[in-house]
Amino acid sequence: MCGILAVLGSHDYSPAKRARILELSRRLRHRGPDWSGLFVDEEAGCYLSHERLAIIDPTSGDQPLYNGSKNIVVAVNGEIYNHEALKKSMKEHHYHTHSDCEVIAHLYEDVGEEAVGMLDGMFSFVLVDLRDKSFIAARDPIGITPLYLGWGNDGAVYFASEMKALKDDCERFEIFPPGHIYSSKSGGLRRYFNPAWYSETVIPSTPYDPAVLRTAFEKAVMKRLMTDVPFGVLLSGGLDSSLVAAVASRQLAQTEAANVWGAQLHTFSVGLKGSPDLRAAKEVADYLKTKHHEFTFTVQDGLDAISDVIYHTETYDVTTIRASTPMFLMTRKIKALGVKMVLSGEGSDEIFGGYLYFHKAPSKEELHKETIRKIKALYLYDCLRANKSTSAWGLEARVPFLDKDFMSVAMAIDPAEKMVRKDKGRIEKWIMRRAFDTPENPYLPKHILYRQKEQFSDGVGYSWIDGLKAHAAHQVTDRMLKNAKHMYPYNTPNTKEAYFYRMEFEKHFPQESARMTVPGGPSIACSTAAAIAWDKAWADNLDPSGRAALGVHDSAYPDTITPAATQSGHENAISANGFSNNPMLSNILKPQGVY
Amino acid sequence: MCGILAVLGSYDKSAARRARILECSRRLRHRGPDWSGLWVGDGGGCYLAHERLAIIDPASGDQPLFNETKEIVVAVNGEIYNHELLKAEMQKHNYHTQSDCEVIAHLYEEIGEAVVNKLDGMFSFVLYDTRDQSFIAARDPIGITPLYLGWGLDGSVWFASEMKALKDDCERFEEFPPGHIYSSKQGGLRRYYNPPWFTDIIPSEPYDPLTLRHAFEKAVIKRMMTDVPFGVLLSGGLDSSLVAAVASRHLANNKDSDKWGNKLHSFCVGLKGSPDLRAAKEVADYLGTHHHEFYFTVQEGLDALSDVIYHIETYDVTTIRASTPMFLMSRKIKALGVKMVISGEGSDEIFGGYLYFHKAPNKEELHRETCRKIKALHLYDCLRANKSTSAWGVEARVPFLDKDFIDLAMSIDPAEKMVQLKEGRIEKYILRKAFDDKDDPFLPQHILFRQKEQFSDGVGYSWIDGLKDHAASHVTDLMMANAVHVYPHNTPGTKEAYYYRMLFEKHFPQQSARFTVPGGPSVACSTAAAIAWDKAWSNNLDPSGRAASGVHVAAYTEESPVEVTDINGSVEESPKKKPKLVDGNALEVSALA
Repeated sequence: MCGILAVLGSHDYSPAKRARILELSRRLRHRGPDWSGLFVDEEAGCYLSHERLAIIDPTSGDQPLYNGSKNIVVAVNGEIYNHEALKKSMKEHHYHTHSDCEVIAHLYEDVGEEAVGMLDGMFSFVLVDLRDKSFIAARDPIGITPLYLGWGNDGAVYFASEMKALKDDCERFEIFPPGHIYSSKSGGLRRYFNPAWYSETVIPSTPYDPAVLRTAFEKAVMKRLMTDVPFGVLLSGGLDSSLVAAVASRQLAQTEAANVWGAQLHTFSVGLKGSPDLRAAKEVADYLKTKHHEFTFTVQDGLDAISDVIYHTETYDVTTIRASTPMFLMTRKIKALGVKMVLSGEGSDEIFGGYLYFHKAPSKEELHKETIRKIKALYLYDCLRANKSTSAWGLEARVPFLDKDFMSVAMAIDPAEKMVRKDKGRIEKWIMRRAFDTPENPYLPKHILYRQKEQFSDGVGYSWIDGLKAHAAHQVTDRMLKNAKHMYPYNTPNTKEAYFYRMEFEKHFPQESARMTVPGGPSIACSTAAAIAWDKAWADNLDPSGRAALGVHDSAYPDTITPAATQSGHENAISANGFSNNPMLSNILKPQGVY
Repeated sequence: MCGILAVLGSYDKSAARRARILECSRRLRHRGPDWSGLWVGDGGGCYLAHERLAIIDPASGDQPLFNETKEIVVAVNGEIYNHELLKAEMQKHNYHTQSDCEVIAHLYEEIGEAVVNKLDGMFSFVLYDTRDQSFIAARDPIGITPLYLGWGLDGSVWFASEMKALKDDCERFEEFPPGHIYSSKQGGLRRYYNPPWFTDIIPSEPYDPLTLRHAFEKAVIKRMMTDVPFGVLLSGGLDSSLVAAVASRHLANNKDSDKWGNKLHSFCVGLKGSPDLRAAKEVADYLGTHHHEFYFTVQEGLDALSDVIYHIETYDVTTIRASTPMFLMSRKIKALGVKMVISGEGSDEIFGGYLYFHKAPNKEELHRETCRKIKALHLYDCLRANKSTSAWGVEARVPFLDKDFIDLAMSIDPAEKMVQLKEGRIEKYILRKAFDDKDDPFLPQHILFRQKEQFSDGVGYSWIDGLKDHAASHVTDLMMANAVHVYPHNTPGTKEAYYYRMLFEKHFPQQSARFTVPGGPSVACSTAAAIAWDKAWSNNLDPSGRAASGVHVAAYTEESPVEVTDINGSVEESPKKKPKLVDGNALEVSALA
């Protein structure tokens, strides 16, 4: 990943302003530790600043990048996987670097704003056309890369990879919506991403073909092995990351990267000592014969990192922070090994309805709509986590499940195939499992291919969540929680844990605009608000204090609710803020009492 | 390098205090990007925080480190080159890690505070003994690694690798002197480093080229101890070329060469077409290193100034000029995955390599000046080399400042170091001669005997011009006129100095901070005492230095790079066109005197 910051339409081109832009851009340097570039053109009215992580063409690909005649300038955070195909399809251009991102400037020269729709990859960029002093900004379809948009008092428009770079200089700012383009010519945002599955009203009906799905996923992984630097795979031992590792490991031998970095795949997993993930990942790594690295952390390590994690991930969403922390810690160790890029398994649960609450989907239509809602919200949750937790240390995360083509295939399948059918032995994500169930040349052992995985923050060790709650209970008193709605009227935290995260967040990001970038609303175990209607027991108990829902946990979570939880009395699976309590998730299916 | 922060005797043991220490320690994270460790003892009254750069034992050497019983805990920034030897000498201990630094805890267990004298390397550490709640802090003999010392209002004592970590929480702070130990038992600082050259005696050992050569070779080899990729900073001057030549020759024999290949990586930085780039390329070609050239533009350098000053924590003009290219280069080196570099600092001080040494009136004066220069290294070149690289998590090792090598080089009769043009002896002659091996040459003759430009010149002449122009556009004459009132301490004497000072004060507004930076008169990097060497210098200590500019003319075909300056400023009025050093001719200076 890289970090970009652009200021367009500023009237100030003094040395002080330049110094200020450099200072703001420095706040993104963790994303791009390898070099900085600043392009300033007073006539065109622009500052384009870039902090670079060099993955492709480390020696010469410093940004910003230009078209042949240098009258189009672009600062990009991302990877364009189809850059070679695009170059071939275009007329002849003079390329200054081997950077995959340079193609954007040339393509824009040829086709203008249409360029955005032609890119296959993850990206956020700001492009300035010096010929007519116009500019565009765009973000990839799903929002794998982050981007924020802000407005200064002087009429300038700001774009930045993370809000920390613009929060102090913009009067108001917000998240740049994924799949959108901002065009100075048309004076605003418009959605350019419009795949067949985007409309929730049309229910797809393509029959399920395991081989087609498998091939599409293999292609998605293969594309992401494009790199000039060492890389690896984040392996939690769950289905999704195991499939990524299995495919990457199998394909590695055929890539150019293998000649340079060796044909043995590096895999990484993190957890408290003896955690379920470490065990599961080890099993998969042994099977795939990867070069496996285990990182352990202590609860104290995690607690000490919370403030940093919130600063980097820029959210106060409880589940995101819980899951980001181990990822953030692991990333530092991965980077210390000299690895700059990892593949990761985000997105599968959204596409295939992998969350356990999907067991309760009343119909295939409802299931399909929920998957679409989940995918559309990824940029607020798992994409945000995966990108910012890794970028905090200059590591790039690539997510093959969110490949544009793969999603088109997966979301065209008749959603009846995604329904959990215990009677037919179909557990969640069955069609993905089935696609890689090739007994003659198995990708994974059967029991791994068909096992149910714990959610990330559980898998790292049960005492992690307990530790977080206990820590929060020390920091937040009952009285504080009682006044929470006056203190934080927007997205009021209703657990001590949520309150604690919110305090840390407000310390780093006190702006009203900042707190508005974080989602809220009711949720059950990671569901969208709409899916709460799936179960009357959920819908009837949307009391923010959630006490009535406690019954759900007790049976779902056989051990005990942590001391912090019982004391506070604010533990609930259903909360007003999308703050679900993960401990129940892993087991929600097992105890029949839930139903 | 790593970053350490220790707070001892803290009255406040709250969770907020812990959070605050983590926040302060985070400011050192550039030094140690690989992992953080925080140890809290004495019921919360004692904090040892560590940000780690993993060079030895990356997998398990996280800090702080402990002795066997875990009663002694230590946070270290540095490398202990003789750790294996020390382990072999001691009684049997069980080691928790393979870290070279762990030996400090075990050795302290055996011999107490005497541990500091036994260590061969560069280090700053804070060690806490839970058995009697005592602690010590120490810094290596020369101050290759940085360390600061501060006092909190609550009675706590703070130690930190860089002052940015303690400046906001200490009522007063200062630089921790090199070669010293702070002992809580004793209640203060004392100097532990006391080599022969610290006395007034003028040494008299005869010069033996081979002995000097072997001592330097040993110093370089010691520094090739690493578990991660490394390289050499190569400017093409004598010192860095010798480092590269020796390292390259020994790499094939080194146990690490299997891991990293036997081709040495060398790195050079400059404006496009700069003298250094050319000179370094020539050396790299001769040695067959895997050479990397990095270019920067004046604008990139200017844009980095604020960062550079934040990182190196000084407003000293020559240090900032030379740090900026090094800072930019370090970022690129790190981007290549290299974590450690060997660098040539210290040679000019030990051998009297600066051009003003040509004017040394006698061997006694020359020797004393070299001693003064070495003792001041921690304020200048050590500070620059360490902090410019640590800014990006790269570790710089400096073989010329090897304890044994210094002892040897400083025991040689200083008459040998005197420049004797008639005998064809230019500066640093004895070092050159030591590596003049006709049968198996380390370097080609013309490189071995060529004079090098100062670092900030070598990166390209327009660099210094660009700095001056930039400063002139930010600092008005009126501002200069009031400089003495705005900055009564170490008043900047030039617009360039004033500009750096403004940036420094923005990052470090504390009175204690500005006192950590040296001042006083200087001619072309000399100490204040050496100004007496030439009447023309001492008579013209006017900070504008105009009257002294004549001194240089003979040394250079055009104008002088050797500016007489107040240490906080250089000659603003010196002609724009940049000087060109005539090979081997600095000695013609005599005409001037």
